[in-house]
Amino acid sequence: MLVVVLLLLCAPFAAALVSLRAPARIAQAVTAVTGVACFGLVLALVPAASHHDLAYLSYLRIDAVSVVFLLATSFLYGAVAVYSIGYLARSRDADPGFSRYCRRFYAGLNLFAWTMLAAPMMSNLALLWIAVEVTTVLSALLVAIEDTDGAAEAAWKYILIASAGLGLALLATIFAYYAGAQVLGTHYDLSFGPLLQAGGRLPHTPVRLAFVLAVLGFGTKMGLVPVHTWLPDAHSEAPTPVSALLSGSLLAVSFYAILRYYQVAVAALGPRFPRDVLLAFGVASLLLAALYLFDQRDVKRLLAYSSVEHMGILAIGVSFGVPIALAGVLLHVLAHAAAKGNAFMGAGVLVRKFGGKRISAIGGGLDLLPWSGPLFGIAVLALCAMPPFGIFRSEFEIVQGGFAASSNAAAAVLIVLVTVAFLGLSITVNRMLLVSRADGQAAALSRGEPSTWMVVPVVAGVVALLVLGVHPPAELTGLLTRAVHQLGAAA
Amino acid sequence: MSAALPIPVIQFLQVATVAVAAPGVSGVIARVEARMQGRRGPRLLQPYYDLAKLLRKEALAPEGASWVFLVAPLAAAACYLTVPLLIPVLTSYGLPLGYMGDILGGGFILALASFLVAVAALDTGSPYAQMGASRAKTFGAITEPVVLFVVFTVALVTGTDLPYALAATVRSSASQIVRPAHLLAAAALFMVILYETGRIPVETHTGTNEFGMIEEARPFEHSGPYFALLKWGSAMKQLILYTILLNVFVAPWGLAASTQAGAVVLAIVALLAKAAALGVVVAVIDNSFAKLRLFKITEFAAGAFLLAVLGVFTLYLGGG
Amino acid sequence: MSAVAAPSVYAGGASVIAVGVLLAEFGMFRQALLRDQVRLYAAQSALISVLAVLVAAARHLPELYVLGALSAGLKVVIVPVVLRRLLRGIGRDGADPDAGPGWTEIAGSGSLSLASTVLLAIAVAAFGFFAVGAMGIHSPVLPPIALSISVSVALVAFVLMIMRRDVASQAIGFLAMENGISLTALVVAAGMPLILEVAFLFDLLVAVVVFELLIRVHHGRADSLSTADLTRLRG
Repeated sequence: MLVVVLLLLCAPFAAALVSLRAPARIAQAVTAVTGVACFGLVLALVPAASHHDLAYLSYLRIDAVSVVFLLATSFLYGAVAVYSIGYLARSRDADPGFSRYCRRFYAGLNLFAWTMLAAPMMSNLALLWIAVEVTTVLSALLVAIEDTDGAAEAAWKYILIASAGLGLALLATIFAYYAGAQVLGTHYDLSFGPLLQAGGRLPHTPVRLAFVLAVLGFGTKMGLVPVHTWLPDAHSEAPTPVSALLSGSLLAVSFYAILRYYQVAVAALGPRFPRDVLLAFGVASLLLAALYLFDQRDVKRLLAYSSVEHMGILAIGVSFGVPIALAGVLLHVLAHAAAKGNAFMGAGVLVRKFGGKRISAIGGGLDLLPWSGPLFGIAVLALCAMPPFGIFRSEFEIVQGGFAASSNAAAAVLIVLVTVAFLGLSITVNRMLLVSRADGQAAALSRGEPSTWMVVPVVAGVVALLVLGVHPPAELTGLLTRAVHQLGAAA
Repeated sequence: MSAALPIPVIQFLQVATVAVAAPGVSGVIARVEARMQGRRGPRLLQPYYDLAKLLRKEALAPEGASWVFLVAPLAAAACYLTVPLLIPVLTSYGLPLGYMGDILGGGFILALASFLVAVAALDTGSPYAQMGASRAKTFGAITEPVVLFVVFTVALVTGTDLPYALAATVRSSASQIVRPAHLLAAAALFMVILYETGRIPVETHTGTNEFGMIEEARPFEHSGPYFALLKWGSAMKQLILYTILLNVFVAPWGLAASTQAGAVVLAIVALLAKAAALGVVVAVIDNSFAKLRLFKITEFAAGAFLLAVLGVFTLYLGGG
Repeated sequence: MSAVAAPSVYAGGASVIAVGVLLAEFGMFRQALLRDQVRLYAAQSALISVLAVLVAAARHLPELYVLGALSAGLKVVIVPVVLRRLLRGIGRDGADPDAGPGWTEIAGSGSLSLASTVLLAIAVAAFGFFAVGAMGIHSPVLPPIALSISVSVALVAFVLMIMRRDVASQAIGFLAMENGISLTALVVAAGMPLILEVAFLFDLLVAVVVFELLIRVHHGRADSLSTADLTRLRG
């Protein structure tokens, strides 16, 4: 397993180095191969992590919870790497600036994926923070890679707000050190395992402070209201493959960081306080996102608000605390990664076809795009928790957990708001896919896909969603059970 | 030289020192400033000659001015003569009349004097005088709370609000000077002193600048002996504030610990020397900075407020 | 009321330095020129390094000497040099040769006047002071006032970032916030393994480099450092 883990750590970094030097086609091929290979490597980790925690080199610690997030990230990495072959194929030989753009894009993409894969494997809260900080700077550069005013503005807002939030998260790390040092001595190095084991003996006030600061700080990166304001801008202005990674994987990695602090907080403070905090943020995010979904004019911004909604659902799910809700949360991480990735990739095809992000410019998608149109529709329906896809299963489990934990009001609020979000999303997507554009410009566009490369990953994503929804494989269920046990064992 | 002076004499000497030495401090500042600018400068005793000249001149009052106009300089001078009874000017022990009012009372009396002068200026109906009075009171809305916070600092540090007690505390050990609350309160008080005595960066003391006058403008309409009283009063206010800063916060050494005549004389000399030194510092500041534009004086006052508030905060949380 | 006991000389001195850091933070509200803001940031970082050395000497923590030296090298020397290079280069290589260097550019003014902003910042700092003070977290190496001050520095830096209207001042506000956080680390986590502290410092350097890049991008598009026209993305 050590070999697998080391490969997982080194491969994307090597791919980034290759992309910096090699011509565009080779970089594309190397990235695609690396992405799919990483997904395979993580799959290889699943059986091992279902039985015991893996620890290597004193800085790596991989338990079942980590592998869930690794799965989400690596799947999207592979999908996006393949998708970008088609996405960047437009003006390949036309202008010389393209090859420089390509190099930067692929180097950035690989490095970004590398840090997102490294973060769940860190054994140490300080290294976790550093990894999340590096994902911030890399993704800000990727957001700014497009040469538009909107991208520059979005990148600036993103890095300012996210860095300020991560400053709060650094404060949380420092207070976690303080709490740990009280029990474990001043040479405590912020390792997560010993901190969790010392749970009940930790002093309450610093842990409480650290948890709230961590939720606020990492929640900035996760997209929790009210510190989510950078999210719609950054996710809509970035290139589509990057948007998919941002929404599907980066938000999940930030959630992973919050989960680690949640584990420590529950061990030290008992379940009541951490769950109340998460419930408050979760409901706020879900409510605001559901309302904002109604008045969007930009398709990628629409999907970004849908991400905020789903992050709210994750927070609410954790706040229920019972095992079935936690299982739903972890499954939701996986399913959301697949579904959001699909949705963004489909939206990218629509944008490419119709030449713009504005929803009013897109119409009649189903007719003009024989594959991507229906696939995009399916992806959005999956996002809205339509059976038989994975998100339906996960949200169902979360709601079940809510009722089992006697949080009936919260569960009811969740159901109502998810329905409102469904309404908001489906109205817009309906208009984009089924209703032809009024100005008859559709006649000028020919029927057909811009690129096959952009269809294949979406198909893979839909298949994954079906698998997750209908019948998750036994290894996955085993992994999830162990992860839930680890999360809930602290309760 | 070892005769013990009776207490009433010492008390009287406190008031007399302040009254007599006040114009001299202004003279020192003016001369040092001129020397720094490369000029010879006026005589050290020039303010006394000015006061004498003014006393000989005729007093005029504007039409429509009431009795307030005439009474205010006398009342203000009376206030300025009262305050030295309350603060440690010459002695490190409390004098009988010193318990009439604590440092808060002293602050009130100073504010009363300033208020009376402002009311007299309003009474005249002259535009410059009224402008000066209104400006002084507007900025005073921020600087008076600063004085209050400085008083709170004194109270929190010593547990009383008698200025004598703080002087004793500061003399007791070096660590008292290093504490942040002390330094912050002293800095805030210094900034308020710059404002109250009308020095750079708030006002130019040399020459009249009509558009920037605050303190200078209030006695605009007074003349003759009344003007002399007002000038002397503002010089006394300057020395009183210097005394509070020096003998309570910054350098409470040299005060007489007994009633011996020698100790008291030494205390007088020490006070004059310290006041002159502070005057030199003020002269250096006068020559180093430019006057702030009028609307930026609120920033200056806000800065003093910040220092005073921080001083109180550090005391509240301990370790300050 | 009873008197507040005087601190020891070490505690008093350390508190004075910490108060100096907070005053430097407030001073940044006053500075209109970007050059002065950078210098004030360098002064603030120097104060923190001095405090680190003081703690190392008084509490016998030799690792802090290294940390003090490294953070001085990074935050007092390297980061201001990077910022200065950035601000001097802006405008020179544009199409307009008359565009002055950004080093002496005046920061964009915010929506509130300076005095009101300072009063707001005092209120925020008071909140930080008393909230942290009420928690009763005792630092092993510095007086409790230092923790309150460090958290206040971070909070006041937030106000600075919000009130400023140009990207360079916002970036400097972020760096000042990071100063507050490193002061918190000094107060509460003085015994943290050195390798982690060094990692945090280098991470800061990476962040500064990326900030510089993005400021250049912003300036390249908008030809100014103002954020007044960053209103395109709404809703």
